[in-house]
Amino acid sequence: MTLTLERMRADIAQAIDLDPSEIGDSDNLADLGLDSLRLMRLVMEWEGAGLKADFGLFAEYATLGEWWAQVVRPEGSAA
Amino acid sequence: MNIAGDFDLSAKDTHALTEAQEGLWYAQALDPANPILNTGQYLELTGPLDLPALELALRRTIAESQCLQLRFAQGPDGPRQWQEPDLARVATIDLRDHPDPQAEALARMRADSDRPLDLAHEPAAAFAIFVLGPDRHFLYERVHHLAIDGYGMVLVTNRIGEHYSAILRGAPAPAPFPPLSRADDEDAAYRASDRRTQDGEWWRARLADLPEATGPAQGRAVSAHRFLRESRWLDASLIAALGDFSDTHRLGWPDVLTGLVGAYLARFSGGQAVIGVPFMARMGRKIARVPCMAMNVLPQAVRPDEDAALQDWLAPLAAEMREARKHGLYRSEYLRRDLGLIGGTRRLYGPLVNVQPFDRPPHFEGLQVGLHILGAGAVDDLTVTFRGDPQSGILFEVDANPDLYSPADVAGHCARLPEFLAAALRHGALAPVPTASPAEIAAQDARRDAARHPVPDTTLVELIAAQIAATPDAPAVRFGDEVLSFADLDRRSATLAGRLAAMGAGPGRIVAVALERSAHLPVALLAVLRAGAGYLPLDPDHPPERIARIMAQARPVAVLTSDDLAGLFAPDAPLLRVADWPQSGTAPTGCPAPGDMAYVIFTSGSTGEPKGVVIEHRAIVNRLLWMADHYAVTPADRILQKTPATFDVSVWEFFLPMIAGAELVMAAPGAHRDPVALAQAIRRHGITVMHFVPSMLSAFLASSASQGLALRCVFCSGEELTPDQRDRFHSRIRAELHNLYGPTEAAVDVSWWPATPQDRSNPLPIGFPVWNTELCVLDDRMRPVPAGLAGNLYLGGVQLARGYLGRDDLTAERFIADPRHPGERLYAAGDLARLRDDGAVVYLGRSDHQVKLRGLRIELGEIEAAITQTGLAREAVVIARKDNGGEARLVAYVVPAPGYDPDRLALEIGAVLPAYMVPAAQVALEALPVTSNGKLDRKALPAPHFAATGRDAETPTERMLARLYAEILHLPTPPSAEGDFFALGGDSLSAVRLVQRIAEETGQDPGLGTVFEHPVLSLLAAMLDRGGQGGDGLGPLLLLADGAEEPAPLFLIHPAGGLGWGYRHLARELGGTRKVWALQHPGLDPENALPGGLDALARDYIARIRAVRPDGPWHLAGWSVGGIVAQIMAAILQDMGLPAGAVIALDSYPADVWRAEPEPDPVEALRALLAIAGYDPDAHRDLDSRAAVVAFLRQGDTALGALPERALDGVVRVVTDTNRLVRHHHHRRYDGTLIHFRAALDHKERRLVPEMWADYARKIQVIDTPFMHSGMSSPEASRLIAPHILRLLDGT
Repeated sequence: MTLTLERMRADIAQAIDLDPSEIGDSDNLADLGLDSLRLMRLVMEWEGAGLKADFGLFAEYATLGEWWAQVVRPEGSAA
Repeated sequence: MNIAGDFDLSAKDTHALTEAQEGLWYAQALDPANPILNTGQYLELTGPLDLPALELALRRTIAESQCLQLRFAQGPDGPRQWQEPDLARVATIDLRDHPDPQAEALARMRADSDRPLDLAHEPAAAFAIFVLGPDRHFLYERVHHLAIDGYGMVLVTNRIGEHYSAILRGAPAPAPFPPLSRADDEDAAYRASDRRTQDGEWWRARLADLPEATGPAQGRAVSAHRFLRESRWLDASLIAALGDFSDTHRLGWPDVLTGLVGAYLARFSGGQAVIGVPFMARMGRKIARVPCMAMNVLPQAVRPDEDAALQDWLAPLAAEMREARKHGLYRSEYLRRDLGLIGGTRRLYGPLVNVQPFDRPPHFEGLQVGLHILGAGAVDDLTVTFRGDPQSGILFEVDANPDLYSPADVAGHCARLPEFLAAALRHGALAPVPTASPAEIAAQDARRDAARHPVPDTTLVELIAAQIAATPDAPAVRFGDEVLSFADLDRRSATLAGRLAAMGAGPGRIVAVALERSAHLPVALLAVLRAGAGYLPLDPDHPPERIARIMAQARPVAVLTSDDLAGLFAPDAPLLRVADWPQSGTAPTGCPAPGDMAYVIFTSGSTGEPKGVVIEHRAIVNRLLWMADHYAVTPADRILQKTPATFDVSVWEFFLPMIAGAELVMAAPGAHRDPVALAQAIRRHGITVMHFVPSMLSAFLASSASQGLALRCVFCSGEELTPDQRDRFHSRIRAELHNLYGPTEAAVDVSWWPATPQDRSNPLPIGFPVWNTELCVLDDRMRPVPAGLAGNLYLGGVQLARGYLGRDDLTAERFIADPRHPGERLYAAGDLARLRDDGAVVYLGRSDHQVKLRGLRIELGEIEAAITQTGLAREAVVIARKDNGGEARLVAYVVPAPGYDPDRLALEIGAVLPAYMVPAAQVALEALPVTSNGKLDRKALPAPHFAATGRDAETPTERMLARLYAEILHLPTPPSAEGDFFALGGDSLSAVRLVQRIAEETGQDPGLGTVFEHPVLSLLAAMLDRGGQGGDGLGPLLLLADGAEEPAPLFLIHPAGGLGWGYRHLARELGGTRKVWALQHPGLDPENALPGGLDALARDYIARIRAVRPDGPWHLAGWSVGGIVAQIMAAILQDMGLPAGAVIALDSYPADVWRAEPEPDPVEALRALLAIAGYDPDAHRDLDSRAAVVAFLRQGDTALGALPERALDGVVRVVTDTNRLVRHHHHRRYDGTLIHFRAALDHKERRLVPEMWADYARKIQVIDTPFMHSGMSSPEASRLIAPHILRLLDGT
């Protein structure tokens, strides 16, 4: 199973008790209530889904759009 | 650490510190020798270790972690940092041959961590590998906090493990850390962002109603050089419960943990706590993977609802914390400054609660790894840390400031807190959870069991009969020269008892006794008991009206009295006068039972209606047999009876000798108030045992008659015995001193403490329970509290009274069912107490001795204890008085000890109590006033001078002003005619509002200056009535406080902005006797020309002060530029042969200091206005034009912004011009003393020291004050500085 942008959005939404539609690609996730611990849990889940990326790298970016473009997709294209 | 600024930075590629680092730099600069900011840890590596691989891994990690190469030094414009590659400073230390390699390794780590670093000359980081054995190594890491934070340390430590593992596996090295420059970039971006301004505003709004932050311990929370530590792993069951709860309620477990710890801490600070929550400040930032210092501490109020389900208050709390994190980059150091929370007692937050899910042992290929934290930064109060996560286990640490906590305190929190967490999660709410741990409750129960002692179930009558039979011929009662043997006592009491029985006395009946001290009195009391009745003592000194009320309640069957006193009673009272007592007859047959009433003593009720406390034989028998045994009372003792029979201490004075065969010596009537008569009686009769109420003991010790007395035992009770009284006692009198405690409702005394000469307890405890008695300290919900936490004192056991005579309602209210021991009763003593670690009880005052000021609950007893603990006062009483403004203020009444000085006392207690608990006034008394019982007479305490009784506002104008004062200052009631606008809480902003409101109501604009000059309501009203229009407050001379022509007035010279309003707090503190004037810059009026230089300005001021006071001396003082002008004026006056008075600079530095600096551009000068208006100029860098600054000021809520356009123009003009003139000025010498109040918390960036004045004054007298430069005219600073100034002025 591969990681998609929409699955990430859904997972994040669940972690912070929002509806996926409330999470825009350029919303600041920390401002939406995502803290480091919840992020770590998410990254661990996504690692389970085959992602190879450092938690710290996610933490460097503030939005889902950046995660997809800077963290996940480069990884996917390298694979 | 190098803070001197003498390090040559010219060759270095330096850059400024980030905001995160700045806070730490200043903390370190305040105390350069403090090593507490050396953060350190070590890894315990077990297994076959490849030493070269580890060394290589370490070197690689250091090489890629730029923060580890940082150096720091003070530069001319503030602290700077640079990198100095310093590779491979990795020590490998082989301790295999050492007898105790582990201890040696730990000692070496400690030695390194305890060393203050010189960060200009040595690296911030050090690493060492200790070889302890073939398969055992310690890897030590130490980095100064300026270079790294906790998460940075995790990154570095994990990286060492990654390198090591990669080397062993032959795998490629991990990608290096991103560059440290990202930290500077992030910092610069935030500094420049709107977000920073918004964050600051958000926090200021959020914290506007912040409760006073305190921790479990009172005192000055400033980190010591070391800390105390206790740690333990949390039980798996607790972790599981935490995880289940968090998952069920969809809360983050760190938030739940933080909230519950906050709830625990709230138990120690009146139901709410303000904790500091460390925030790693990395999410969504480019420094997420960069080892650096970025963390912040976010203040968080925790106000748990004890009755609600946990999630009902934890969920909103978690939401609040989430919201706070969004604004979490705004530095707490700035926030503290923004809110004026300066000094060790005004704090932004109390204990830190630090949940570190990421701080787990790192992975090292093939090794078992343990992580041990040695130090993580300053410990101001308590730091409660949880490291790890539910999956890998959670290590719980309590670090504590040793200045505030004992090792036992720390161990207590470490053991208790996990129990509290577990119980809270188990119950799902806080209400059922006691603060004391199960082990502590068990220990308290064990003490209760230990106090059990078999006592015969008998009566006083039987015990006395046995003694009479045993020693019939021994002296029983002595009054003057009259002596009754036990046989005499037997005979006389028996015949009287017979008559009383005939009058109806018997079990359950009451016989009143109203007699002066004489041999008849003990006979009468015993006779009543032998008749089976209970005796009711009446004090002949009491007013007849009170006696009548008691008689009406008690309805005695007989009244034993004398001819002299018969007039106290109604004509139909059943009197039996001494003269009519029978000379022969026999005692009634039959005895009272142990459960029958022995006596009734009336005490004052809170409503004023006396309450009769009914004590049964069983209760008083327990008390007397305990005392006879505990103090080994024998027939050889002579016990002095001097306490009025209406006070229950007299019960043991009368009956202890009768059951122990000792001699009862009756003091002459009235002798109990006369130290000389008492001392004579003690010497003459060879008294061995006696009692004092502590305030009477104080008077007795102060009398020369008491010197050199020798007795066996002296007992104190009835009031708090102070350590000073104990020590003075032992320096004058040779005797054991014992402190006893108990209310009338529990048969005289329930606890004991030996106040020996060796006892150093402070406060002096009331001690341990007597036989078959329990003292328990419970909180407001009747839950046991641990040692150290104040609670309500409850008493249990055999000595409890039956209740209040005829008042079942009151009995039910105070004698309640013991919630933990069904079938038993507890008496609510109405006292506050705490347990010591040894189980001794410390009395903290009456629970109604508690007031609320500004919504804060204050235990007056706590303040009293703090005062006596300074040693500056022998005794102290604090009350909350309402002064004429209707605002309660704390007033301390003290009996001074040698060295007493009101300012010193205020300073010393200010160091241990929160500011709101420091009394507003002190009144020194030779002795505290006492009532006829020898107890403190609160009603007789005189009013302090500020509490001039105020008349109500009367005239229409006064009544209008009273309404406006109340409206603008939010006063609950209109102030009196003497109410002072500023004393009532007014400031310059509200003064502007007042002027506007007066103008609205009357159509007449009184001018701001009028309010400044006449803040007292009646005077302002008089001004308005006269149609008087004062100035606009911008004139060159503004009278800030009125007073007489003599003593010489004080002139306060404006700072750079030209306005003198800022001195109003100082003027109010100084006023009352002399006039206090502000000198304001003439250039505030744009019509006036600007002066050609500071000399010209000073000459102008001299002309003005001579106009209001032709002859000197003229006392001169000024803050900032004002101090510069004061020195110039003093020098000129000297040239003119005129006497300056005192010359005082409030944190001013000579003009030279600025000469080399470029003249401020107009915008910089404008920005100084922001500071004058109370804003932080650095927080408003966007205001870069005159229009922007003025518009900003206009929006804001400041007096400056409310000035008329013309006046604001004047201020802008003056600021700009004055800054220019200062640079051009050359001081001449003033051949006198310059008094310098230094803002000791400031000037870390550039070294400004009072000694810079050395060339310009003969002598410099420096007084350090705990403020920043900007705060030198604040109300707090004024309160501290004013008394010094007054002494200086009066000394000249």
